[in-house]
Amino acid sequence: MAIYVLRRVVTSIGLLILSSVLIFVVLRLIPGDPTITKLGGGMTAIDPRAFQALRHQLGLDRSLTHQYLTWIGGVVHGDFGQSYFSQFPVTELIKERAGSTLELATAALIIGLLFSVPAAALGAIWRNRYFDALLSGFTAVGMSTPAFVNGLVLIVIFGVKLKLLPTQGYVSFENHPLESVKGVILPAVTLAIAIAAPILLILRSSLADVASAPYIRTAQGKGLLRHQVVLRHVLPNATIPALTMIGVIIGSLLGGSVIVEYVFARPGLGSLMVDAIYQRDYAVLQTLVLLAAGVFIISSLIVDLLYGVLDPRLRVRGHEA
Amino acid sequence: MTATALSAEGVVTRRGRRGETALRVLRRPTAALAAIVVFLIVAGAIAAPLIAPYPPTQFDYAHLFAAPSWSHPFGTDELGRDLITRVLYGGRTSLEMAALATVIAMVFGSIWGFAAAFKKGWVGEVLMRIADLTLGMPVILLGLVLVAAFGSSIFSLVVILGILFSPATARLARSALLSELEADYYLAATSVGAPPWRIVVEQLLPNTMPVLLARGSIVAADAIFIEASLSFLGLGVQPPKASWGTLLHVGYADLYSSYWYPLFPGLVIVIAVLSLNTLGDNLQRALDPSRR
Repeated sequence: MAIYVLRRVVTSIGLLILSSVLIFVVLRLIPGDPTITKLGGGMTAIDPRAFQALRHQLGLDRSLTHQYLTWIGGVVHGDFGQSYFSQFPVTELIKERAGSTLELATAALIIGLLFSVPAAALGAIWRNRYFDALLSGFTAVGMSTPAFVNGLVLIVIFGVKLKLLPTQGYVSFENHPLESVKGVILPAVTLAIAIAAPILLILRSSLADVASAPYIRTAQGKGLLRHQVVLRHVLPNATIPALTMIGVIIGSLLGGSVIVEYVFARPGLGSLMVDAIYQRDYAVLQTLVLLAAGVFIISSLIVDLLYGVLDPRLRVRGHEA
Repeated sequence: MTATALSAEGVVTRRGRRGETALRVLRRPTAALAAIVVFLIVAGAIAAPLIAPYPPTQFDYAHLFAAPSWSHPFGTDELGRDLITRVLYGGRTSLEMAALATVIAMVFGSIWGFAAAFKKGWVGEVLMRIADLTLGMPVILLGLVLVAAFGSSIFSLVVILGILFSPATARLARSALLSELEADYYLAATSVGAPPWRIVVEQLLPNTMPVLLARGSIVAADAIFIEASLSFLGLGVQPPKASWGTLLHVGYADLYSSYWYPLFPGLVIVIAVLSLNTLGDNLQRALDPSRR
């Protein structure tokens, strides 16, 4: 078990380093110099001295290896460097925006789970043809509908027509709890639809697998009622394989928030990323992407380790290997 | 001689059976409906110059942001251009890009997967590890990074989309080929000394083709989805060229005054993606008994 844990941790660190190198190299392929945008390039001629001075200040005149090591050295100490565009420390920009994204992602996850888990369980208990078809239909449509389309429809219904909920911007929870919650409802529902569909798909197939296991037949043979069998035996066992998909779900939350924040004009990490691409600010961009990769890699690591704790069979196998 | 005859016969029966299953899928109402919708959308885009009610660049300053009506079923845009016309022409851009990206993903992914299946040792292992690594990451984030690096010309977008969907294809191609390599006809063909490239071209490729084509339908759906997402963020197809996603991006700016502008292109995207996904899903299920 210790060896298994150690091996997984080491691979994850390796993956993190590999992704940081990849991100860094790919983003250096950006044509044009980021300082040109900053200096208002394109519109006016750029003073070559100002250009050189800014490049020097940002460390862009050093070798790529040097730039990479400076960046990573800072990251290890929690210092992500300085934005090429606004000159603010990247750490500060991220801190400023993280609250909004965190609120959105948490709310979406809660709404998504509150919908998909009971729906899947109800489908397994009830085993109604039409309800099953309804769930399959929801998954198919949910997975084929981009978040911006759902977001637009929600804005039109609740913002433009009914004028019930705010559709733009972000209010921090500490300052105005009620306004903040009202503001997050539509974006969170939009993002929740995007994640509820895959969760429902995985959970239902996992439920179907477990339902045909011999111990479930035993439970039925003992004379338990269908809902007892499903809630006590099928659901807990079906959740474990579904757990491996948490990495994917967190991934969709990160990716989805980029779109959702744009639709609802929320200043979050996703919109920061889009802005960074527009401004060719790769100091900000590389950090955000590395952060996303880090969240993704670390969450899959945690899930893998948890998996061993929850499913004793895996622990034994891990031991043998 | 008997061995070659046997292998040839094996190919015929296998291919025949799979071709039939693929066609029989269309007897299912959902799959048939999906196929019809896909056909209609593709036909609409191809025939856009013939069926579009207005020329795509005809401005009408008297009717800016007109609401849907009989003369303009989807309304008009900020320059008074007819939106159903723009959606039809936008379909050409969106579908062309999706089709090209799908071809790239299928060809590149298949070569990748086949190489991994043939070269079992560490080469295959490394090839598959790379696929696994990229498969986990959210596609839209990878797409954003690649767009930041390579720009958003139509050409680079197509290549980026092709690259994004290659790893998943590689996985599928590998597993499809591995199961073919275990079949008797492959053993027969190798034992009579048929050259490897000939086995690949004449037998392995045709036999794995149905599975790969079913996958292609889903890749096309994903490509439309991601291209629309990038264009919606303003990082995909740039005006004056317009894909469905670009129309959404531009229309979104006037969402609060004329919501039908972005809504119709959005609806068309959903219908296209949903029908391609449904078609691909039904084909995959029909071809893979374990998923039925």
